[in-house]
Amino acid sequence: MPALRISNLSKSFGENRVLDGVDLNVEPGEFVAVLGANGCGKSTALRCVVGLEQPDSGEVDVDGRPAMVFQRIHLVHRRTALDNVCAGALGRLPLSRSITPRLFPRELREEAMWCLERVGLADHAGERAVRLSGGQQQRVAIARALCQRTNVLLADEPVSALDPSAAVNISELLGRLAEEGLAVVAVLHQPQLATRCAHRVVGLSGGRVAVDRSAAAVSQAEVDALYVPGGVAV
Amino acid sequence: MTVTSQEPGPPRRTAPPRRSRPSPIALGIAGLIVALHVVAWNATGFSPAALVAGWEGIADFFDEALPPDLSWADVVKPSIDAAVVTLGIGLLGTTFSVPFALVLALLAARATTRGSITYQAARSVLSFLRAVPDVVFALVFVTAVGLGPFAGVLALVFHNTGVMGKLWAEAMEESDLGTRDALRVAGATRTQQAVHAVLPTTLPQLVGLLLYRFDVNVRSSLVLGLVGAGGIGFLINQSIKLFRFDEMVTHLLVVLALVIVVDQLSALIRRRLGA
Repeated sequence: MPALRISNLSKSFGENRVLDGVDLNVEPGEFVAVLGANGCGKSTALRCVVGLEQPDSGEVDVDGRPAMVFQRIHLVHRRTALDNVCAGALGRLPLSRSITPRLFPRELREEAMWCLERVGLADHAGERAVRLSGGQQQRVAIARALCQRTNVLLADEPVSALDPSAAVNISELLGRLAEEGLAVVAVLHQPQLATRCAHRVVGLSGGRVAVDRSAAAVSQAEVDALYVPGGVAV
Repeated sequence: MTVTSQEPGPPRRTAPPRRSRPSPIALGIAGLIVALHVVAWNATGFSPAALVAGWEGIADFFDEALPPDLSWADVVKPSIDAAVVTLGIGLLGTTFSVPFALVLALLAARATTRGSITYQAARSVLSFLRAVPDVVFALVFVTAVGLGPFAGVLALVFHNTGVMGKLWAEAMEESDLGTRDALRVAGATRTQQAVHAVLPTTLPQLVGLLLYRFDVNVRSSLVLGLVGAGGIGFLINQSIKLFRFDEMVTHLLVVLALVIVVDQLSALIRRRLGA
């Protein structure tokens, strides 16, 4: 059974039809990279899945609550990496145990440390987020998503603001998390990273799925066509 | 041999677009602003000629006011004591308004509130508290608790709640909402989103505005003293009524020192907090 199933998803902003019947299934343990030109609906599709946008039509079925990481990372810079990770668990904490980070339960802090270990940042747990590099901040954001105990991790351009080395590291981390059983969907603007780290490549064009192949099988011509104005899959 | 000279200069490029002329609406607004100033000039009896003609009165004033009366027991010490009271009015008026302003700001910011009825109600309360001047609040509270600094504190709490609540709500609305969205995706409630995303990301701005309001409130408490709320404003009022302008200048010098100290203290805290 897919961890994420998107059926006939459509969304318009005024006259602009951004998503036009998108279908996508993602299995547990699968890393799907979503490619496409700016404005083709990649981010909107993810935002519809997590509820930040309401689709006009279509269905979204998710195994549990999906987690999401963003291009601009969106950590609380004044707080430590550990406190930022703990915030991923707010959805299952009563207000009495979450009105301030000091009230977070001990078990949660231990779980958050484990999440930081999974992303390789346990030794930075006590540092303020503002002192971390962009790549480290994105790792903290991923740990925050893991602390949500999610089965589906969505990443909206998680490496666009990072240098090439950090971008590779984050992409490989997403691949490892998929191997651990997570269903991972990441919007990427780097086709090489997509074919190198993901299992499957999905290309959007004009709000529709134009390419859906295993990463090993996708051709350069298919990728190039996604970035041609008005382009379709070859 | 013929040498062809080339004109120096940049290669030809597409001409930049011309700036558009001011629209009739913009010209109309500019004309309206000028007309309003003319009306205000006439309504206030603004007259530089009258100021020049009355220079002798100003000279007499300075003649009586200078040098300031610096007698310690009669003027300077009471002045410093009263300045401490004025500082206290400004401090308590600011601090005690924080919880009310914070709750109303959270309800009056679209980033943190849910229903439009709650939003509009909170905005209306803030507008009312802001619209009533602190001096009017002071006169109201003097009738309730009598003359003295307590009435001044109450007046500042009410007025400052309106002003600071509005400023804080604006700061929250202008904050980066990505962090809030990240927690919303994680299932955080509105209150949790406010506590763990909106407030910590806007904290430097909120503290900066708080210190600014403290600065303003200390100066406002001077004026409140004129209507019976105690402090150094009360002493200035007494000096004017008794035509003791040399005493008044001493009080003003103490006020100047007080304002400089508060200003420097605020700037120091803002720098430390990165606000």
